[in-house]
Order: sequence, then structure tokens, then C-alpha cells
Amino acid sequence: MTRRAAGALAALLIAAVVLAGCGGGGDGAVTVGSPRAAAGPEIRIGAKNFTEQEILGQLYSRALRAQGFDVVLKSDVGSSEIIHRALQNGALDMYPEYIGVLLSEVANDRRRPRRAMAAYEAAKTFEHHNGFSLLAQTPFADSNALGVTPAFAKRHGVHAIGDLKKLAGTVRIGALAEFATRFEGLDGLRSVYGLRNLTVMPVESGGRYRALDSGAVHVASMFTSEGQLAGHRYVLLADPRGLFASGHVAPIVSEKVLTAYGPRLSSAIDAVTRVLTTPAMRRMNAEVDLQGRTAASVAAAFLRAQQLG
Amino acid sequence: MLRRSLRTQITTRVVTLSVAAAILLGGALVVLIVAVTGQRDAARTAFRSQQALSLADQLEKSLLSIENGLNRYVATEDSSYLKPVRRELASYPSATRRLALLVSDDPGQQRRTRAIGGAIQDYDDLWASVLIDIAHDSFAKARSQVETNGGRARLDAIRRQFASLFDRERSVIRAREDNAEQRSEHAIRLGFGGLVLVIAIGIGFTLYLRRSLLRPVRTVADATGRLAEGDLATRVAAESEDEIGQLARAFNTMADAIERGAEQLRHSNAELKRSNAELEQFASVTSHDLQAPLTTISMYAELLERGGGERRSGDLDLIDGIRGATKQARGLIRDLLEYSRAGRGALALEEVSTMRIVEQVLETLAGTIDGAGADVTVDELPVVLADRANLSRVFQNLIGNAVKFTAQTTPRVRVSAQQEGDAWRFSISDNGIGMELEHAARIFEPFQRLHGEEDYPGTGIGLAVCERIVDQHGGRIWVTSSPGEGSTFHFTLPVAASADATAARLRVRA
Repeated sequence: MTRRAAGALAALLIAAVVLAGCGGGGDGAVTVGSPRAAAGPEIRIGAKNFTEQEILGQLYSRALRAQGFDVVLKSDVGSSEIIHRALQNGALDMYPEYIGVLLSEVANDRRRPRRAMAAYEAAKTFEHHNGFSLLAQTPFADSNALGVTPAFAKRHGVHAIGDLKKLAGTVRIGALAEFATRFEGLDGLRSVYGLRNLTVMPVESGGRYRALDSGAVHVASMFTSEGQLAGHRYVLLADPRGLFASGHVAPIVSEKVLTAYGPRLSSAIDAVTRVLTTPAMRRMNAEVDLQGRTAASVAAAFLRAQQLG
Repeated sequence: MLRRSLRTQITTRVVTLSVAAAILLGGALVVLIVAVTGQRDAARTAFRSQQALSLADQLEKSLLSIENGLNRYVATEDSSYLKPVRRELASYPSATRRLALLVSDDPGQQRRTRAIGGAIQDYDDLWASVLIDIAHDSFAKARSQVETNGGRARLDAIRRQFASLFDRERSVIRAREDNAEQRSEHAIRLGFGGLVLVIAIGIGFTLYLRRSLLRPVRTVADATGRLAEGDLATRVAAESEDEIGQLARAFNTMADAIERGAEQLRHSNAELKRSNAELEQFASVTSHDLQAPLTTISMYAELLERGGGERRSGDLDLIDGIRGATKQARGLIRDLLEYSRAGRGALALEEVSTMRIVEQVLETLAGTIDGAGADVTVDELPVVLADRANLSRVFQNLIGNAVKFTAQTTPRVRVSAQQEGDAWRFSISDNGIGMELEHAARIFEPFQRLHGEEDYPGTGIGLAVCERIVDQHGGRIWVTSSPGEGSTFHFTLPVAASADATAARLRVRA
């Protein structure tokens, strides 16, 4: 009797330990294997709804976790309009943004600074007024661009954005939905280049190149660091009037978490930003978009190589 | 020993059986209670899960209506669509909290519910609220955001999470119901089995009580009835060591006591009857025997009276007659006194040599023996435990009789003794007149004479006295005889070796 009771008790204890272990494993993904940073609020990192952003989100969140910060990554949040508003509403603490897009679409600044540093300073000032810090920008630049297939370029003699004017009928542009309402989009193409024969076919991020290849669209909105652009399979149209501004990326971080964690946080973020060169970013984009790897594993491998995670 | 007897006790067996039955009943009851509790818990859980499902369903519908409301607001720019959207957005945190309380305690379900709550929060923070803000600035921009399907994608993801929550919850309910069902079936079977077992025990118990309690008790009761009706030899078999065995043994002991008592009663009754008859006989004989000398005295006194004052020649004879009759009456009264004393009062028991006693008796009787010219032979005689004076009286009477009742010219008397078991048998034989066998018993009664006093003088009290004395010593006396061939008187006395026991017995009788 006593022996059986003892056995039952032991079984219960074992079960409790196992369950506790499982529970810990399930919830602990955020903090696993790292010393905790000084206690502070959870850092909610956002990422926009396309590959490069997903990779950036993974890079920053993993690097910060490795430093012991309590991080939640909310990927696939949406366009700049959405994600910046969420940041302002306090639903996010940080996300990486493209300087040019930030200026044109969020700050509504239609002037096109000729130099990247000038654009960065303007963006930094804008965010400072908003109550956010724009940390250091990346070495790599991923600007907006319009691209066509070489065959299309050859057939219609299209090499620069202005050349689209020559085309007969409506030109279909495959782009993310927000392209239709953006200055670095349909608005700018109309106002800066005077193009009237354009229409936007909204496609998801990954669908743009397929739509272009299949002929569903004539032109596709592209990002200059995308892996698909390697090997001259597409022709990027020249932007002599500088509609698509700086494509460098800088993390926008709320003063709340910066104050809470101090310079330790900003230096941890800067450490990641610093190593994001154009070849590195393009290779990672290609690994996800062309080799079918997950953004998480690509980011993890990169951070390991850089000894950041 | 005590332990063993306790084990065999009916009480122990009854208690053991009762405890076993109670434990079985209790066990069956516990199993039933557990099963019923399980059923009730399962029903409660199922009800709660149903509530969770319906709440989740409501939540999902409310999310859809938020998304639709948002889309309509952005498309039509009609702010009336916004109000219900805001209201519904404000209500979901409490709804998800309630949901978390209602879903089963399954950790997976709790995790799913938390994930759904987080996803809805994100839908609000990262989509719905933001979209409303954007629409506030520019409906065109908001419309372009709606076209990205960001909200729809989030909703689809949430609905997939809901679907998985539903699936899991339903399977949990099913599993619990199955489990409870199985358990209750099990319990019904067990309970039924327990009941059958208890009934079986009850029947066995009844049979056992009948066999080992009621039947033996009835046997003892029947025996008691027979005993009460007078069958004193009734006994019951006492085989077992238990209470019934004790009862039977107690009954037997009681019956023994009753039978012994009845036997003693019968014995003392007979004794009383005998002594009563003896007394009557004695009274009539004594009064008859006393009448004769008194009649003689009275008659002679009358004759003397008739003579008037003068003396006559026959007067002296009359006076002699009166003297003789008076002497006879005195002798009678003396013998009467002797008889009444014989066998009464305490015996002065001591070891006496019968040889020595017989020698003294022969000396006392020397005149008589010589007068009759008798030849008395005495064999070897033992030492016995007896009252010297009384034993002397016995020998004197018997030897005296042997010399007296003789027809021969030379009476021969022989005194002998031999041991028979734990008694000495003394024999005094003569070659006298003997007697008919039918008189053999009567001669030991007082004042019984077979012959007239003129033939053989004596009051007839001697043998009666002998019987009393021998009887008082724990022996018996009898005669073997045939007419004309002499008689042999026998009496027994316990051997001296068992004298102590004899003394004890004699004291008790005294």
C-alpha cells in the first residue's frame, strides 16, 4: 500500500517535471540560451510584408535575443503606411525602414534629396519630431525600381522610365497594392515623369517576377537588392529624375525601449546594421526567394557567421 | 491457545463476515460514486466546452463583421460603419479572456487560446486600428491597403487557429465522454458484481447461521424440552469448540446434575419408605411383645387381689411370675434401647485386631459355650478399621446365636475371614438348625423371631442391631442357610488399607 502510494507520487512528480519542461520549452523560445539583459519591457519588432523585411526582422530580433533582450517579432505586418502607424500607435517598438520610402510616404516629403546622407538626416529629423530615434543606416541600399524583361526592353526600346511614355495602350505595372497610392509609385510616375498610360496590377511580393515572366504585366516594381536581379535576367529602367530615393535601411526605435535599456540596445542594433552590405543582403534575399530557404534559417546562419547570434 | 479459540468463535466469524460484506458494499459504492462523479465531470466539461465553442464561434463571426465593416467604411467613406466596428473591437479582450476560462484545461488548448488572443490583438493593433487612422487621412490610401488583403490574411490565419481550437476541443470532449462512458460501464459492471457478491455472502451467511447456529440451538432446545418432560438421560453432542459447543456442554452438565439429584432423591425416598415401614413394624411388634409380660403382671396382680388380705400358698408363685414378667419387660425395654442406640451416634474408629475381639467375645461367652458343649474354631483374622465396642457386639451376637440355635449335641462354630476386593468378608458358620431361604431377609428385622421364646430365648433384636452396626461401618450383612444343615452369617468391612477413605465416607454418613 505504502509502496504503491510512493510509486504514484513518484509518477506524479516525474509527470510534473516533464510537463514543466515542455511548458518551458514552448514559451521559452524568446529567451532560450542567453543571459537576460537588464530587466525592461518586451521589444516588439515589426517587419513589412516582403522577403527582405522578413529577413531584416529575423536578423534584428535574433541578434537582440542573443544579447538577452526580450523580443517579439511581428512579421508580415504590412506596408510602410500600416507599420509606421502601428509604431506610432504604440503597437510596435521598432522596425527597419527604407529612408526614401520613409520620406516620401510617411513624411510626405516630395523633395528628392540628391545625396543619401542628406536623405538620412532629413528622415532622422522627421522621426525625432515624432518621438522616435532613427538609428544608423545600413551599408546596403535597396531602392525602388521598375524593371522589364530584356526581350520587352529590346522590342519596345525601353531603357529608362520616361521611355514608357512611348508605349501604345495601357502599361500594366505589377506591384504591391500600396504602389498605386505612393509617391514612389504611381503618383510620382505621373507627377515627376508625366506618365498617364499606367495602371497598377496589385500582386503579392513574391508574385511580381512571375507576373512579369508570364506577361501578365509589362513592368514590375522591383527592389534593387532582390536576388532575382542577379544574372541580368531583368532590365532595370533608369531613373534620371531621381524619383526613387535612398534605399538604405535604418531601424526606427521607440524612445520608450531606448530609455529603458540605454545605449546597450542601440549598440546591439547598430552591430547588426553595420554588417548588412549589398552583397550580403542580396545573397540572403536570393537564398529565400530562389532557393526556398526560410528567412529564419538564413538570418540565423548569417548572424552565426558574423558572430552576432 | 487463546488465539486459536478466538478464531473458532462464532462471534469472530460473524464479525469477519459482516466486515467483509461491509467492505464489499463500500467498495461497490465507492466505484459507483467515482463513476457518477466522472460522468458528472464529463458532462460539466462537455457543457463548458460547448460554451467555449459557441463563444469562439461568436468571436470569429464578430471578427468577420469587423473586417467587413472596415472594408465597407473604407469603400463607402460612410462613418456609420465605423461605430459597430469600434464597439466590437473594444469587446474582444474580455471575450478572449472568457474563452481562456472555458476551454479545457489541456495545455495545448490554453496555448492555442493565448495565440488566438495575441493574433486578434495584432489584428487590431497592426491592422484594424491602423487602417482606421489611415482612412482618416486618406481613404484612397486606406483602399490601397485593403487591396493588399493584409486584414483578410490575418483573419484567415485566425480562422485557421480557431478551426484547430475547435477540432481539439471537440476531440477532447469526445475523449472525455468516451472515457466517462467507459468508466461508468465499468462501474455498473463492478457495482453489479459487488451486489451479486454481497447477496451471495448474505445467502451464505444465512445458510451458515442456520447450520451452525439455529440448528444446534434447536437441538439443545429440543433436548431441554425432553429433559423438562422427564427424560433425564437426554444429552446433546458437543463437538465444536465454539459458543454452541459451550452451550451443549453446559446443558449436559446441567442434565448430569439434575439426573444425579433425581437419583439421590429417589434413593433417599426409598430409604425413608423403608425406615418408615421398619418403624411401623417395630412399633407393632414392640407393643405386642410388651403386652405379654404386662398382661401376665396384671393377671397375677388380680389373682393376688382376689385372695383378700390373707396369704395363700400360691401367692409366692404369683409374685415370682410377676417378677419374671417384669424382668422380661425390662429385658425387652433394654434391648429396645440398645437397638435404638445401635447405628446411631459417632463411631470411635480405630485399627482393631478382629482376632483379639473374637478372643474377648469367646471369653465373655465362655459359660454359654461350655454349657452347650460347643466347639468354636477361629481362623486367622485381619486388622480392620472399626469401632471396637460395636464390632464386639456384632461378633458376640453372631457367635452367641450360632451356639444357641443348635439341634446337635455338639454345636460346631467356625469364625473366618477372607479378602474380597477392598473388603473383608467375615463368616460365622454353624451346624445348627438352619432356616428356610424365605426367612433369610426377615431375621434382620427387629423383634422377628422364627421360633417361640420357649424354644430359643431372646427378644429377637440381636441381628437387627448387627445389621445397623455393619451398615454404619459401610459393610453389609447377609445369611446363607438351608434348614437342618446350619447357617453361615456373612458381613463385610472395608480393608484397613482404605480406612482413610472409609473414615471419610463414614463421617459423611454420620
